[in-house]
Amino acid sequence: MAHAAAATAGRAHERGLDVYTQKVGMWIFLCSEVMFFAGLIGSYIVLRFGASDAWGEPGEVLNVPVTAVNTFILICSSVTMVKAFAAAQEGDQKSIKIYTLATAALGALFLGVQGYEYTELILHSEWQGSHGFTPQAGLYGATFFTMTGFHGFHVFLGVVFLSWASIRAFRGHWGPNNYQGLEVLGLYWHFVDLVWIILFTIVYLI
Amino acid sequence: MATIVAEGTGQAILEEHHPQTFLRKYMFSTDHKIIAIQFLIYTLFFLMIGGFLAIMMRYQIAWPDQTLPGGGILPESMVASGYMLPEFYNSLVTMHGSIMVFLAIMPMLVGVYANYLIPLQIGADDMAFPRLNMMSFWLMVPAGLLTLASFFVVGGAASSGWTLYAPLSARPDLSGVELGQIYWLLALVLIGLSSILGSVNYITTVINMRAPGMTWFRMPLTVWALFITAILGLLAMPVLSAAGIMLLFDQTIGTTFFLPEGGGQPLLWQHLFWFFGHPEVYILILPAMGFTSEIIAAGSRKPVFGYHAMVWAIISIAFLGFVVWGHHMFQSGMNPMLGLSFTISTLLIAVPSAIKTFNWMGTMWRGNLHFHTAMLFAVGFVAMFAIGGLSGIFMASTPVDIYIHDTYFIVAHIHYVLFGGSLFALFGAIYYWFPKMFGRMMNEKLGKVHFWLTLIFFNLVFFPMHGVGMAGMMRRIYDSSGYAHLQGIQDTNALITFAALGLYASGFLFAFNFFWSMKKGKKAEANPWNATTLEWQTPSPPMHGNWAETPVVYHGPHEFSHPDVEDKDWLAQNERPDVVSPAGGGH
Amino acid sequence: MSDHAGEHKAPNYMLIWLYLFILTVAEVGVAFLPIPKAIIVWSLLIMAFWKALLVAMYYMHMKWEPTRLRLVALAPLPAVAIMIIVIMMEYV
Repeated sequence: MAHAAAATAGRAHERGLDVYTQKVGMWIFLCSEVMFFAGLIGSYIVLRFGASDAWGEPGEVLNVPVTAVNTFILICSSVTMVKAFAAAQEGDQKSIKIYTLATAALGALFLGVQGYEYTELILHSEWQGSHGFTPQAGLYGATFFTMTGFHGFHVFLGVVFLSWASIRAFRGHWGPNNYQGLEVLGLYWHFVDLVWIILFTIVYLI
Repeated sequence: MATIVAEGTGQAILEEHHPQTFLRKYMFSTDHKIIAIQFLIYTLFFLMIGGFLAIMMRYQIAWPDQTLPGGGILPESMVASGYMLPEFYNSLVTMHGSIMVFLAIMPMLVGVYANYLIPLQIGADDMAFPRLNMMSFWLMVPAGLLTLASFFVVGGAASSGWTLYAPLSARPDLSGVELGQIYWLLALVLIGLSSILGSVNYITTVINMRAPGMTWFRMPLTVWALFITAILGLLAMPVLSAAGIMLLFDQTIGTTFFLPEGGGQPLLWQHLFWFFGHPEVYILILPAMGFTSEIIAAGSRKPVFGYHAMVWAIISIAFLGFVVWGHHMFQSGMNPMLGLSFTISTLLIAVPSAIKTFNWMGTMWRGNLHFHTAMLFAVGFVAMFAIGGLSGIFMASTPVDIYIHDTYFIVAHIHYVLFGGSLFALFGAIYYWFPKMFGRMMNEKLGKVHFWLTLIFFNLVFFPMHGVGMAGMMRRIYDSSGYAHLQGIQDTNALITFAALGLYASGFLFAFNFFWSMKKGKKAEANPWNATTLEWQTPSPPMHGNWAETPVVYHGPHEFSHPDVEDKDWLAQNERPDVVSPAGGGH
Repeated sequence: MSDHAGEHKAPNYMLIWLYLFILTVAEVGVAFLPIPKAIIVWSLLIMAFWKALLVAMYYMHMKWEPTRLRLVALAPLPAVAIMIIVIMMEYV
């Protein structure tokens, strides 16, 4: 009953989606996020079909090994996120602190690696005879920086929220009666991970 | 949370002991009713601005060889030695459309009425996420300011049409507008975000916060329409945001998403824009249909004819809304195979639209008609929407569209559905729900004068445009006097402009009535229209938290003239069946 | 109100992590195999879809959510499909 109460402040109500309101809200928000990334990815597909010679082979300019490691970091952060949620449900305060903090740190690390990757691409790479792979480097550069950039922006927002969740964790805020915030934040975080799984495949490997 | 709950009984005891500052109560309020009123003032302001831009355009079209009266106060970049510059005219065209669609009609339909009516009509105490709701209003404020500011920056406001077709919109050197275009794109992204946050809120509220007994098919048609509209907004707006951001990059950092010289595709912009744009059209009409259904039922003292059919019509219009966008692009050079399929899917929309139109007539048939102002506007909506719908069929079929594409026929059609449709229903909604919002009635006499003036001038403005369009006058043209084939219609153009001035002036009659009634109007009772839905079963205006105790719903939404009820011709949704009719004529 | 926490055993999150790790390694491996591009592309897409599904089902708990919520989560996919398919019609 605990989370049903949190959902509607205890007001009696007609049957809805059978889950608490914040979770419904997050899923609905994620639907709009799906459409946002579909707009970007759809454009990428269409543009690439229209001008396939503007794209390089995998690994030609983009650094696949570094990004693979970065993908691994993001997947790890998804595990720590879900572990934090599980710890909150069990009331294991020590694990809540460790895992929320770890998730925030892994997210920040991902951003750091992405920053390194961008710097290397822009300053120290060669693409089609000119120096530096930038957003102006044809459709390849434009779509690459737009898609990964907006994903990075989502990760950044996630790190901000995760830092807030970590502060709350250290104040003992989360627990078996109060894990909804972590679960909803987790949904967002896993979604960002899921988008990266798609982006990594279609941007770097194909 | 202002409500304290006796667990399990659903009895909420209201507690209003928070001392609130003016700023907290009226500016940064999280109460859905206050936010709705903020949206209402905001959108009425932009309605006035948008209308004024149209008046300036009309003056130029009617008398291209004359100086613009009062044009002297405008800067040289807009009006040079008394004459309106073509660049400024293009900005007027663009910003009239953009402001009316994004800053006036859409937030008025959704921001005002979804906010105000959803919690009240489903029996909730507020939105699911009140702070998110506040944010969705305050995101609109910088958007509005950016839009207004864009007129006064170097190069003037955006001038590539409200559809922002690339490459005109993507290359500053083609349109001559750089900053104005960027300002408008930024505003568009903010509007998109605001609209998405709003949609999340409305959908969640409707799904999870309905009062006990408020099953899906007991929801008033307004809630149905607003709910489906929110879904459309949720799925369509993000695509526009994504496309708008790419266009912004083309403008600012030199990418070439939509520029053919860099391998990009202008056609992709059109696809993305209209993938958003056509659902947007239904965002602009579905809520209006909801208001109309409700006002007509209350004004005819009869249940809505074919309630279930109305709901399914709304749902199928929304679904079809996602598969018809290509009918805006018959002339764009897209794959011709798509033309036929988009023609068919577009014509299919006539079916649910006709269901709705005939059901409104069925509702009125042999009803006990009360033609108060709100009812007049609702009936006006049905008539104007029918005209707009019929002209839509012309455009839906590709061969006819090739002839009338980009002419004033299109302008006539869009205004019949957007002004004659959405705005008529909105006026009706304002007259109808004003007593609930402000606790006072609007003046009926002024309201009726406003209605008749609006109806007459509206038709004088937009009906002749069909003919003007068939005669070949191009949409968005700055000066038609140079074309031999358009010489004959110049008098009609002047007539349209005179009527437009009348239409704009009658808007001020409305504005006067609105603000005067807010202060001086007759005090309204809780249920001035003897209507059945929940919002009328709580005081006008409702207190913070909406309900003294959570309502329990026993009946469908529009139970007028119920055979089991003898002493009155309406049955509120929350009236207990055993109290009202011992025979138990409930559902 | 279903309190799903009590209704199912917490899945083995580490096993899913291992699964995702192996699939990622496999993806990088396949991308550089000397086989026809079409086969690479399709197998990469299948693996990406597989990974996304794992994240959604286990980490986002879709596997244990009520069907009504699952339908909400799937709602945008037809719109995505329509959008991409129609725009791609320019190439047929």
